[in-house]
Amino acid sequence: MSRALLLALLLLPAVPPSPIRFEEIGGVVGARMRHHTRKFKGKYAGVLGMFTSGGAAAAVGDYDGDGDEDLFVTDSDAGRPNHLLRNQLAETGKLGFVDVAKEAGVAGGNDERSIVTDALWFDADNDGHADLLVARFGTPVLYRDLGNGKFEDISVKAGLTKFGNTIAVIAFDYDNDGRLDLLFGNYFQPVNLIDLPNPHVLPDNLDDAVNGGGVTLWKNVTVPGSHDIRFAEVTEKAGLAKHTGWTLDVGHGDLDNDGWPDLYFADDYGTDRLFMNNRDGTFRDATKEALGGLDTKKGMNVEMADFDRDGWLDIYVTNITDEYMKECNMLWHNSGDGTFTDLSKETGTCNTLWGWGAKFGDFDNDGWEDLFAADGLRSAGKENYIPVLLEMIIRPGVDFTDVGSWPAIGTMSWSGYQKKKLFRNLGTLAFKEMAAEAGVDNDRDGRGVALGDFDNDGKLDIYETNADQESLLYRNVSPASPGTAHWIELNLIGTKSNRDAIGARVTLKIGSVALIREVNGGNGHAAQSSKRLHFGLGAAAKIGSLEIRWPSGLVEKLATASVPLDRITTIREGSGAVNERKSR
Amino acid sequence: MNILRRTPVLLVLLLAAARLAAATSYEDAMKAVAAGNNAAALPLFEASLAADPDDLKSANEYRKAVIRTKEYDRAIGFFDKLTAQHPKAAYAWLNYGYTYVDKIPDAGSVTQVILANKALTNFSKSIELKKTWIALFTRGNSYLYWPKVFGRAPLGVADLEQAIALSRQEPKQRSVFVRAWIALGDAYWKTEQAEKAKATWRQALQLFPENPEIKARLARDGDELEKYIYDQLDPNKRVDTNLAPLWEKE
Repeated sequence: MSRALLLALLLLPAVPPSPIRFEEIGGVVGARMRHHTRKFKGKYAGVLGMFTSGGAAAAVGDYDGDGDEDLFVTDSDAGRPNHLLRNQLAETGKLGFVDVAKEAGVAGGNDERSIVTDALWFDADNDGHADLLVARFGTPVLYRDLGNGKFEDISVKAGLTKFGNTIAVIAFDYDNDGRLDLLFGNYFQPVNLIDLPNPHVLPDNLDDAVNGGGVTLWKNVTVPGSHDIRFAEVTEKAGLAKHTGWTLDVGHGDLDNDGWPDLYFADDYGTDRLFMNNRDGTFRDATKEALGGLDTKKGMNVEMADFDRDGWLDIYVTNITDEYMKECNMLWHNSGDGTFTDLSKETGTCNTLWGWGAKFGDFDNDGWEDLFAADGLRSAGKENYIPVLLEMIIRPGVDFTDVGSWPAIGTMSWSGYQKKKLFRNLGTLAFKEMAAEAGVDNDRDGRGVALGDFDNDGKLDIYETNADQESLLYRNVSPASPGTAHWIELNLIGTKSNRDAIGARVTLKIGSVALIREVNGGNGHAAQSSKRLHFGLGAAAKIGSLEIRWPSGLVEKLATASVPLDRITTIREGSGAVNERKSR
Repeated sequence: MNILRRTPVLLVLLLAAARLAAATSYEDAMKAVAAGNNAAALPLFEASLAADPDDLKSANEYRKAVIRTKEYDRAIGFFDKLTAQHPKAAYAWLNYGYTYVDKIPDAGSVTQVILANKALTNFSKSIELKKTWIALFTRGNSYLYWPKVFGRAPLGVADLEQAIALSRQEPKQRSVFVRAWIALGDAYWKTEQAEKAKATWRQALQLFPENPEIKARLARDGDELEKYIYDQLDPNKRVDTNLAPLWEKE
């Protein structure tokens, strides 16, 4: 046998990759929700509508604690209700959703002064009940879960009365004090777009804008044990006030493996930012030294995962790569020394057209995290807005900040009808795009991507929200030969740490391979994925070891026998695996 | 009367003095470049060009130093002033356009469009003043970087056909002329004339038999060819704007 042939055989995978397949079941199971973007009034209606064409968001969470994942899905037009989709799986044994938003008291939020843009489940008072934050162009709404299927609006009492044009929100414990704090990513400056006092509200530069809304950080100052939830703004104190970009998404993760959450901001019109945690309640802007400078791209999404299994979280940022803006996404590979290298071109994940939400998830349970990305801005008539827009862009002396400078879009399309992208992780620092093969190459105007195992079958499903269109629920029906695609899922419950265990890191070893997952509080544009951690294990018949580093600092090693394969296991901080499920 | 009679002589003397000053500044600038001091070379090149605004060689070296120092805005400002002072200097306008092109790879995606458009305006002014091969090729090639939706590729075909016609009048086919042949093929391809594109590249290969870019195009078809051409027309890649092959000995 020649050396070349021998080498070729050695490089062949032992088992051919199993197919990844999804079927869209949103309509069948009652999860297909039509989103409506806000319709503005007055002469700037078209342009403002164009600049606020987000707001189609979803948050996954088992709010009723019955062991299946529920969904909160937003709408944005005036008077349109949001949806609380309660999963019936645990009760009926069959996947199906019922909208209980009105009964629960969480349907509101789209009023004459406010536009709903994002949503987040998090346990603000560590009482075991998932509270709900609804972000808005306006003031946020914080609903406290009363534990009986009803929610109470406690926004004012909690101190969340500051107006902002928030498009993204995450919950994380930035100071590791056991209480979940809130970080808002704000697109516009805090001006009321519905009653515009001054038309100069748009970006001052289309590649390097610094007149956006930045971020606001709210420290959870609830007295431990109390249900009197309170927040206090600490943006300036934490060192985040100088960031004035057009924030479209914010994400957190422990990027330097020191046990403290760091931050990445994806900004439209340039200048993403990386802030490292100083472990003293402040952050430092590490963008230039870590990323090699400031970018000029249109950042849309922040997602973190260890895609190459080297033990360090990497960052995926979507940008715009379409017929006239050739930006390419950024897959920031974490070098482990405080620097990152963009490998999007090398890995084949550069082009997701007009990018929006994107999430890592091991869709085929082979132990490598794949990537699903939404795209598409506005699918409407045959006429293309881009040449019309160009006339404005190249006009000498044009004032981009002036809403009146921008041509109305009318019924024109703008980077619409774009096919979604699914990248299979080949495990060799390379991905293969296979959305059509997997059945997820829809051409809607995607926004949020929320992952969760909605039918508890160990395979990650995808919920995709679409602007001014219906959402989609893709059930993962990937076939797998028995014994070749094992998995585990972990529900973590913090005791000393925040109860949602946001920030907890699990390291699972199989032989010499270490898989890491962190519980995150809403990373990714307009969608919070399940907090339940999912590990695909491939053909591995057993786990070598499993270790949890809790935000409190406790490092807990679990007996592998307590975490059976192909099961969902609940782990309580300090107590290991427990049998815990409550139901209303 | 005496003054009038002496005027041509004075003009000749003044022109000669300017040329000398330009040459001196150019030599000093090149010495600074050779010493690795590009920043110091910039004002010297500027002095050289102020004295001789149509000097392609000096402008070419100036732009190279600008790319190395990333002082694009300085160069844009300089050529803006130079062309205002010498509105009939066709090559000054051409280099003014190139200065925008040189900045494109280092600019954001929207700014790239603005820069590309400004470059086109200046190339057009250069062509209005003097229809040269280099100006026609440059503008024609620039049109190809625009996405199809803007409908500029047919304008590229027209310019590049003229550029090739001009080059064929030359007694010797300089190797730099191959750029227009390649670009014309690309222009045909971008305007849905695939056969004409292939024919153009085949004709070019007879004139420039060793050219790898022509061979690469002729070796590809369909999606592979599309990918290859769009890779070449990626605005994030630096366009070769070095004009030295125009005057280098062959």
